[in-house]
Amino acid sequence: MSANSTALRRKRAATAGFHLSAGTLALLWLLPIALVVVTSLRSFDDIAANGLGGLPRSFTLDNFRQAWVDGGQQRALINSLIVTVPCVLVTLALAAMAAFALSRYELPLRRSLLLLMLGGNLLPPQILLIPVSKLSELIGVYDTLPALIGVQIGFGVGFYVFVLHGFMRAIPAEIQQAAVVDGAGPWQIFWRVILPLTRPALAALSALSFTWIFNDLLWAITVLRSDTKMPITAALIGLQGQYVSQWNVIAAGSVIAAAPTVAVFLRFQRHFVAGLNLGAVK
Amino acid sequence: MTHFQPGRRRFLAGLGATGTAALLSGCVTSSSTSKTSSGGAVTLQSNLSAPQAKAAMQDVVAAYAGKKTGTVSLNTVAAETFRTQLPTYLTSANPPDVYTWYPGSVADAYAKKDLLLDLGDLWDGPELKGYSKALRTLCTATSGKKVFVPATSYWWGMFYRKSHFEKWGVRPPTTWDGFLGVCDKLKSKGVAPVGLGAGGNTAWVASAWFDYLDIRINGAVYHRELLAGKRRFDDPQVRKVFDRWREVLPYFDPNGVAGAFQDATTALLNGRSGMMLIGTFFADAAPKDVLDDIDFFRFPVIDPKVPLAEEAPTDGYFASARTGRRDGVLDLLRYLATAEAQETYIKGSSGTVLPCHPDAQDSGTALVRKGRAHIEEAVEITQFFNRDSSDALQPTADNALAKFLAKPKEIDGILRDWQRDAEKIWTA
Repeated sequence: MSANSTALRRKRAATAGFHLSAGTLALLWLLPIALVVVTSLRSFDDIAANGLGGLPRSFTLDNFRQAWVDGGQQRALINSLIVTVPCVLVTLALAAMAAFALSRYELPLRRSLLLLMLGGNLLPPQILLIPVSKLSELIGVYDTLPALIGVQIGFGVGFYVFVLHGFMRAIPAEIQQAAVVDGAGPWQIFWRVILPLTRPALAALSALSFTWIFNDLLWAITVLRSDTKMPITAALIGLQGQYVSQWNVIAAGSVIAAAPTVAVFLRFQRHFVAGLNLGAVK
Repeated sequence: MTHFQPGRRRFLAGLGATGTAALLSGCVTSSSTSKTSSGGAVTLQSNLSAPQAKAAMQDVVAAYAGKKTGTVSLNTVAAETFRTQLPTYLTSANPPDVYTWYPGSVADAYAKKDLLLDLGDLWDGPELKGYSKALRTLCTATSGKKVFVPATSYWWGMFYRKSHFEKWGVRPPTTWDGFLGVCDKLKSKGVAPVGLGAGGNTAWVASAWFDYLDIRINGAVYHRELLAGKRRFDDPQVRKVFDRWREVLPYFDPNGVAGAFQDATTALLNGRSGMMLIGTFFADAAPKDVLDDIDFFRFPVIDPKVPLAEEAPTDGYFASARTGRRDGVLDLLRYLATAEAQETYIKGSSGTVLPCHPDAQDSGTALVRKGRAHIEEAVEITQFFNRDSSDALQPTADNALAKFLAKPKEIDGILRDWQRDAEKIWTA
């Protein structure tokens, strides 16, 4: 009886300890986000007088209006979506087809191709900034959204092929053989057999690539220079002045800029976690 | 599942590499020969991205459009993006026409690469006739070409709050000893006498102290020579700058290197620190109701024999040499040089800048009137560390000054390292 109750008490203490420490960690994790949200609701005079860390003494929603209208975030958000949505669709379509061919058929050079794609991913993007901007100028697409879409697709596709290849390779060969026996051609096998089986991977990758492309700043400022074409990330640093930064407006802008990715995350939450170990086990 | 010989694979990799290299070299050479566009609106690439400054620029552009002499399209890019992308803009095959930027050695560096349009015709015209000789020199490249049109300038000074100084019973000092006396008194009252704000991403603020001590002790001429690489940072005369700095270092706010300058100005406004060497742009970071309470005094004179110099960075415009709309560009710049354009900008912006046109009205506040007189009394004007040298030299100063603020006793080693780092940039 007493041994039993000691064990019970120990178990309870362990549970309490776990919740306490996990709760503290979660709070610490949320603290910066809370700070941004609180700052986005304060007036500039309040921040200038009491500092960013001071207790809020004002409440205003005007910062969101300033970021949205004066800061040009409305247009920037539209630009971001014009770039991000086609990029995700096209990249995944191309990557899925390439991965299908590379994983399900004995194509010549398939290993070299995969290594080339992997190698491209290992290359730091910084060294390609000048070639990319000069090349887009040469083709005559510099400072247009299609240029940014093209660059994003080009840089994304290698990684997605690599991940999808790993996933598709794990699909048993018998399924494909059965389809062949039933008279399915390669296109039908891809569309009706392999693609439906790859859906979890595609969902996870689309959520990941949406956040990556949406949050990108580097390529945007490399191939664009007109403020009317800049995506949301570039508009966000545009809120920063040359010397003085209005932290309240910047915080409001950050909240606006983060909203779409948070929405995507909440929608695809399940796949996000699944995506973390995609291709990890071969 | 290796089907291929390694030799064959290596051959393919080599093929890809040579192909890419050929493609890259091809585009680098051919992009510089492609033609630039002509006709259409003149593009004005602006780094004034803060909402108020951006709106003021829009007013200026609208006023120019109202003149019906030409068309211009304003393109505002985030200040930080602009700074990093400016070389790319200027060297691109189809560059924007006009840019907001700085005169002096910064513009000269681009002029030396033949990237800037010769504005000699403009400077001979009536619009720029009245501009001061100092500005004229500032806008001239080493080749003798005029490459810049100045618009506004701001100034640096020791800023404080009048009501706080009254409360503490101190008065703005004029001499170095008087300055140290004020510091002493403030310290005894539990106030950090001198705020800094060289933490965060504004380490460059500390350079103001170096600039000012150097122009007070060694003079502006020596200072410019030093930054241009004609003198050495481990020179005994530079050492004297730091000896002076060490006299006042104990009075610096211990949190001076912890936060960015906006945190330091908050401390100044709250009375946690007494005064601060800063540019007038900081007024944008002050709540509207304390603006009237802000005042400044001249950085104390150390050696009366040294000609009085002040830091007053000038902002303005230059144009790309590759523009296909030369006439339109000159017409726009001619307008931007007028008193009317500068007044329009000052009215729309926060109003703490001074117009460069001698007949243009400033915003008329007591602070700005005092600032204008403050600059007019100076014999020499310096720009700021990075503007008098280059953006590449600024990090060497940030590095050296941060080390000095942390370990002032090791100054000899720090100056030797600074000289070594600077040489790499001067010879690059």
